Amino acid sequence: MGWYYLLGKYSKHSKTLTLFIIMISVFVVISIFLPGKFLTIRNFQSMFSQIPEFGLLAIAVMLAMLTGGIDLSIVATANLAGIVAALILTKFTFPQIGGYEELLTIILAIASALTVSLICGFLNGLLVAYVGVPAILATLGTMGLFSGIAIIITKGYGIIGFPEKFLFIGSGTIFLIPMPMIIFILCALVAILILNKTTFGFSVYMLGSNPIAARFSGINNENILIKTYMMSGLFSGLASIIMISRVNSIRPGYGSVYLLQAILVSVLGGLDPSGGSGSISGLIMAIITLQVLQSGFNILSFSPFFKKVIWGLILILVMVLNFYSAKLSQKSIKRLKTN
Amino acid sequence: MLKNNRRFEVQKLLKQNESYLFLVIIAYSIFITSINSSFLSLENLFDLGKSSAGMGIMAIGVFIVLLSGGIDISFTAIAISGQYIAANVLIASGVDNIFFAFFISCLVGVALGSINGLLISYFKIPTLITTLGTASVFHGALLTIVGTKAINSAQLPDCFKAFGAKNLLILTKPNGVNYGLSTFLVIFILLALLTWLILKYTMLGRGIYAIGGDINSAVRSGFNVAKIQFFIYCYVGFLAGIAGVLHISLIRYSNPTYIVGTELSVIAAVVLGGTRITGGSGTIIGTIMGVAMVTILNNSLILVGLSSYWHNFFVGLIIIISVSITSYQSKRSIGNIVFRR
Amino acid sequence: MIEKLEKLLVVKDISKSYVGVQALDKVSLSINRGEIRCLVGENGSGKSTLIKIIAGVVKADEGEIIINGKKFENLHAIDSISEGIQVIYQDLSLFPNLTIAENISLNQMIERKKRFVSWKEIRNIAERELFNINKKLDLDEKVENISIANKQLVAICRALTQDAKIIIMDEPTTAITKSEINRLFSVILGLKKRGISTLFVSHKLSEVLQISEKVTVIRDGKLVGVYNTEELDHDTLSFYMSGKKIVDSLFNYQEKERQKEPLLEVKNFSKKGNFQDVNFEIRSGEIVGITGILGSGRTELALSLFGLNRPDSGEIYIDGKLVKIKSPRDAIELGLSYLPEDRLNQGLSIKQSIGNNIVVTILQRLLNRFKLFDNNKKYEAAKEWIEELNVITPSLETAAQALSGGNQQRVVIAKWLSTHPKIFILDGPTVGIDVASKSNIHNIIKGLANKGMGVIIISDEIPEIIRNCNRIIVIREGRIVKKVNTDEVTEGKLLDILARKSIRVI
Repeated sequence: MGWYYLLGKYSKHSKTLTLFIIMISVFVVISIFLPGKFLTIRNFQSMFSQIPEFGLLAIAVMLAMLTGGIDLSIVATANLAGIVAALILTKFTFPQIGGYEELLTIILAIASALTVSLICGFLNGLLVAYVGVPAILATLGTMGLFSGIAIIITKGYGIIGFPEKFLFIGSGTIFLIPMPMIIFILCALVAILILNKTTFGFSVYMLGSNPIAARFSGINNENILIKTYMMSGLFSGLASIIMISRVNSIRPGYGSVYLLQAILVSVLGGLDPSGGSGSISGLIMAIITLQVLQSGFNILSFSPFFKKVIWGLILILVMVLNFYSAKLSQKSIKRLKTN
Repeated sequence: MLKNNRRFEVQKLLKQNESYLFLVIIAYSIFITSINSSFLSLENLFDLGKSSAGMGIMAIGVFIVLLSGGIDISFTAIAISGQYIAANVLIASGVDNIFFAFFISCLVGVALGSINGLLISYFKIPTLITTLGTASVFHGALLTIVGTKAINSAQLPDCFKAFGAKNLLILTKPNGVNYGLSTFLVIFILLALLTWLILKYTMLGRGIYAIGGDINSAVRSGFNVAKIQFFIYCYVGFLAGIAGVLHISLIRYSNPTYIVGTELSVIAAVVLGGTRITGGSGTIIGTIMGVAMVTILNNSLILVGLSSYWHNFFVGLIIIISVSITSYQSKRSIGNIVFRR
Repeated sequence: MIEKLEKLLVVKDISKSYVGVQALDKVSLSINRGEIRCLVGENGSGKSTLIKIIAGVVKADEGEIIINGKKFENLHAIDSISEGIQVIYQDLSLFPNLTIAENISLNQMIERKKRFVSWKEIRNIAERELFNINKKLDLDEKVENISIANKQLVAICRALTQDAKIIIMDEPTTAITKSEINRLFSVILGLKKRGISTLFVSHKLSEVLQISEKVTVIRDGKLVGVYNTEELDHDTLSFYMSGKKIVDSLFNYQEKERQKEPLLEVKNFSKKGNFQDVNFEIRSGEIVGITGILGSGRTELALSLFGLNRPDSGEIYIDGKLVKIKSPRDAIELGLSYLPEDRLNQGLSIKQSIGNNIVVTILQRLLNRFKLFDNNKKYEAAKEWIEELNVITPSLETAAQALSGGNQQRVVIAKWLSTHPKIFILDGPTVGIDVASKSNIHNIIKGLANKGMGVIIISDEIPEIIRNCNRIIVIREGRIVKKVNTDEVTEGKLLDILARKSIRVI
């Protein structure tokens, strides 16, 4: 009987442990092979400033996948939100209010970006929860819609030149820690809190495991789905603010490589694509692993195309490994059941 | 008292979808012609047929994948890989033969498609994630290994240009200019016919429908599900290879970053044609009409004066609206939220 | 010897155990050519396990399997099929998106290793099989659009195309009407004439007595005996199945004097296609049984009370007050609980832990003052109910799928009891549960009623209804046809009421 207990606890923690080992090994290997360029403060700062925008997008995708769905529109949402903010920052001028115009413009820009991303998330949630469209198609469609709107607004051109105070979000530091990282850590902590300690988070996991049983247990599925996709949207919006302030520009289509990486990192982090299980801590370890790899590739001057190959390969490899580990655990459950 | 009211509604729904779409196409065409009379001219229609044949062929591939309950977003990467590799091989080898080009492109297509097939049928990886990964690998590999240099019209072997100009039926306008029914369209129709024959008259084809209907029952009935799935993705690769050659012959140019990014339009066309993403239902006619509708819509935007910037927006909108209609109807008619998501 | 050739299937001393449960204990069974045999036992007796072993889907721990005179050490599904054993499971395994003709004929096409499809042949095969069972169906109709009874006939036809010698049907009559049952039986008789045997697995005694020639009874995983049907009657068969005399611990209703209002009162409840003009009430301390064959509207009615099937008209009163129930959450807040029919898909999230499954209904109560989960409260709440209901599990973290059926059901009950309901509706509470757990769950239910809860049991098992309820409501085709006190009827009488064709409204 004790076996069941061990198996239950073991499988949850073994995944985290394996991930931890992978993360440390990758770090160690890269450090050994590229000590000079990798183990520098500059490099670490660079990694720390790239993780946040990507990390927020990864959390966005993970939230949707926890419910058993997916959100293919996260990058398009971030793009659109970023463009709206950029337009306000560059084209909109507040009337003179005694020197605070710039600050107000920045606040308006940020608020608009977040509002836009919330609306995008709301639309996704509406389609999935109330109309009943399968998440793949719904978010494929909204991906086109949002990116389309972005292209129409900008006519394909980029927008550059934001106020300095705004750029602090992307490139400033507080006590040597890049501002984006601070934002990311805060958001990640909030996400962890919400998922693990609130009724909403609990309902998300139950809904992802079995939406029918969730409904029968009094969970309002539609409500939870809308909130989840809106939260996804919000995180995409937050990512966009960091993105545009870091690069001081935005163009439609920016960040398209992030979608694949976000899904990769979710799956690597232990998420079950059919819903119901996955943790932010696993996600973060996967993000760190990926960022370290990314950094190593940059130092080795891999072309962006070659990197594409590697990300795709890693995603597939992770899924294949999942296949084998699932087979092994099935065998041991069978053995236990017949003993 | 407890009759299955579902029965009538679902039947109606299916019959409705294809004929409804047909009416929409007719109505929209008339509407556009009233704004710009050159729309319904034979020349324009032939032209549209030629330029949409490539998309149509890829749509056939997406169609059978959706039928089996899966999804494939790597077909564009496969198409451009087939195209670019074929063009490069022809240039390097000096062979100037369109059939050789098709051969290479399809070979590449099937090879890449078989990778998808293996991952999905043997390792049972979810199809979206698989093809998301392989799209990245294929395209990245193409750009890394083969290169990124575009091939312009001057460097392009003549066979492509000749093929692109080949028409089956030539007519002359009053001002002396020729136009014709391109072989592209003929190839598209033939491939559609071939696919229809496979789906209707072979056990392989019925197996595809069976898998899409209930994969567990398919296994129990004795269908070799793995083999059928493997075939599906190889077939998609084959079709993508053909589409790649059509594309290069059409625009007389090969840039390895092209075609990728158009997945949305193709999927929109298939979904618009009534194929369900859950699998098991859909028709070739519906797919063809879906392609027609998307093509007409695109063309009409240009004729009406809306720039190509609106493309993504409309494609996204089409997907959302058409899928919403089918999803909402089926949600209502089945009635019991209790037994579905 | 002729007898050897006649014995199509022989299984000897089959044993099989799972964690904590001995599913089968040295059970033997043999079937002759053209025989109609019923395998009978209560839910959880081991019937399904035996069938799966015969079909080669599950491997027995011990015992012999001999089919057509051949001994099989390691029986695979494909061996079983090629020897002519066809199992029609309850889910029928059809293709909803394909036509009737295809569903019937495709398997044979595959068996014959056909590459190309001849639609003519598909139609011919389908037509022939339908003709042989004397049934007309529209060959081009998609299977998802036809009734369950017709789906069953399609499944039988399909089984017959593969040269079946024995057709095993697993609980075929749970979802079809009386006339459809009769048609099914005439088909089975037709099969007998063609030399095809039928093994009919069921717990419905009247049907067992109607169709079978011999009955194999198992109880608690053990073989009770093989009997000729003509020597059995309802009461003896029931006795063999349950091991108990019928008139046993009936439920004694203790009227609570303080009550003025019924706990739950339903007036003029109607929903087109589901149920019509339903009126009933239930008082504190009562256990009311609602029975009727599947399709009679009983589950639809329960779902409406729980907020999952909006009625067209009607009123619900709880404690005398008119209420509106638009969602399960509303129902829960009003003190209603519903234990669903389908434990694995509707009652539990099998991949989630037992603890999570139990607390999902009372999340609000586990929060601390910051509106965040207090892990201690969570642990305590789950633990309390595990102990109260005797759920056998090594830990709260164990996934629900690791438990046996009886324990799983106790978890679902725990989940609902934790909400302290006033009214508890249990839909098929003991389906697929071993006999020991079954009587344990019945005792739990009786205890709840005695403490003042109003309980509704929905079931098609007459013995369960008689033994546990003080009042019975019979529903047929969506209408209430009879309301009786349990002491006014016997099992036989109740079965008569269920079977009668005409609708007698009270």
